[in-house]
Amino acid sequence: MGTLVRQEIFKLTRKKSTWISTGFLVAVEILFAILSKVYPKTFVPASTFESLYFARPIIIFYMIAATATIITMEFQFGTMKQVLYRRYSRGQILVSKWLAMLLYSVYWYILSLGVAMLLKLMLFRHQLSIHQSAGHGLSIFAQSLEVSAATFITLWLLLSLVFLLANLFTNSAAAVSVGIIGYFATNIVTQLLTMLIQKWDWTKWNPLTMLLYPQMLAHPGVYQPLLNMQAWQMLLGNVIYIALFLWAGYKVFTQRNL
Amino acid sequence: MSSILSVQNLNKSFGNKHVLHDVSFTVEKGHIVGLVGPNGAGKSTIMKAILGLINYQSGEIKIANQTVTPASHAALSKVGALIEYPGIYPFLTGWDHLQLFADGDHQLIHIQEIISQLNMDSYIKRKTKGYSLGMKQKLGIALALVNFPDLVILDEPMNGLDPEATKDLRDLIISESQRGTTFLISSHILSELQQLASDLLIIDQGAIVQQTTMHQLLASQGKQTIMLATNDDKTARQILKKAKFKMTADPRLEVVATDDETMPQVLRTLVEADIEIMDVKRLEGNLESSLLEVLKQYRVAQKLAKEQA
Repeated sequence: MGTLVRQEIFKLTRKKSTWISTGFLVAVEILFAILSKVYPKTFVPASTFESLYFARPIIIFYMIAATATIITMEFQFGTMKQVLYRRYSRGQILVSKWLAMLLYSVYWYILSLGVAMLLKLMLFRHQLSIHQSAGHGLSIFAQSLEVSAATFITLWLLLSLVFLLANLFTNSAAAVSVGIIGYFATNIVTQLLTMLIQKWDWTKWNPLTMLLYPQMLAHPGVYQPLLNMQAWQMLLGNVIYIALFLWAGYKVFTQRNL
Repeated sequence: MSSILSVQNLNKSFGNKHVLHDVSFTVEKGHIVGLVGPNGAGKSTIMKAILGLINYQSGEIKIANQTVTPASHAALSKVGALIEYPGIYPFLTGWDHLQLFADGDHQLIHIQEIISQLNMDSYIKRKTKGYSLGMKQKLGIALALVNFPDLVILDEPMNGLDPEATKDLRDLIISESQRGTTFLISSHILSELQQLASDLLIIDQGAIVQQTTMHQLLASQGKQTIMLATNDDKTARQILKKAKFKMTADPRLEVVATDDETMPQVLRTLVEADIEIMDVKRLEGNLESSLLEVLKQYRVAQKLAKEQA
């Protein structure tokens, strides 16, 4: 398994896009830190730091694209056969791709957090204390970490769906579209979702509600009554849906004829 | 000699279409086996099934006595393959590909050896997106050989290769085979296959028509002849005709070799008749015409069997 994961990482490191996107993410963080420094009233330093200087949504887009292509590129380049007719089982190959993406997502989070910390030290040493309260009894730093962790979980809910669609359609366009629509849909349908949940309580158990987990942690007073859910229930829901989508993708991958 | 690959009663359908019918054969260690047949006969499907790429309805595939299924690939640890066309990542160099798929010790030395044998040195460090079809094909073959496989499965390996590259590949296959590597090769370039394969698997409409050796096939179809030069060709021809040897229409002295015993029998007959033999040559027949003949006979037999049933 270690060899397979290393091979996936090798492919990622050889792609120009990996390094261009890394440069772009760092540049965006620097840009938002500077904007926050110059226009602190518009770009409130505490909020921009919490959002890791706008890195989080970018990471989500990167990861949706990377997850779709780690499967579909093998079909597109005709390399899937080569990947499969080795001593490894199909299950091992798919799991190695999951693990590679897990490591890749950890890479983005560590990078963005590290850059955000560095920018805070360089530009906001005296203006912003990461220990100051963000409300709900948490410091800005703790809140940022908590929301990052929650975003990471919901990101994996989206990615598990992207894995399933990439396996089903062998086409990155479909998988990426659904991933990105899923990301935006949470914000667009929140109002409709809360109305539904208020009318029929059981509708809260749908995957879109689970995508609101980071918002729940950031503003528990607002979201708990709207969604009729506790944070731990949303965490559990996320884990169950992730397992379900990954399992469905696994079944598709292991049954496919090439 | 023991077999490295055994396929028994393999059946495969795509929907309602039954594409493989009770396919059974074995491949001996160290042999170069040609898998030949018309388009759509099931060659690639057999190869894919051996490599665990497709599910099949029934049958058993064993490599070195270990069963291979789409779910169980352990037996493929010593197998290399190139199926249909080489899968190449355009953002990697040829060297990256070989490094990516090479396992175990001394891999760099072996990679370099293969690169040299296939004359790939000049472009191996370039990104593959700029490779020609022939370069990609060579890289695909190099990938199939990179892990010292015991069994190599090649589907149309000569596709896109120029004459020089074809010769490099032929030499490489022969040298690897002499080291004990077994090859199962499907190719439509029958003249090349004739120079390489010692054994043949002839397939048509998803069924094995014949498992034979190249020599036997050419001999059985009367495509192998013995060309003689004597001190009196006219008399020699009459003696051989009288002794019931089959002569070709060639005005020269040419005898059809029906089996391995023909040559010594002809020589003995002429020596006993006091004819001096100045020269003797065995002329190999042509795989293409022999194959077409076998397929024709098979189809006629199939048609008859259907009519009788």
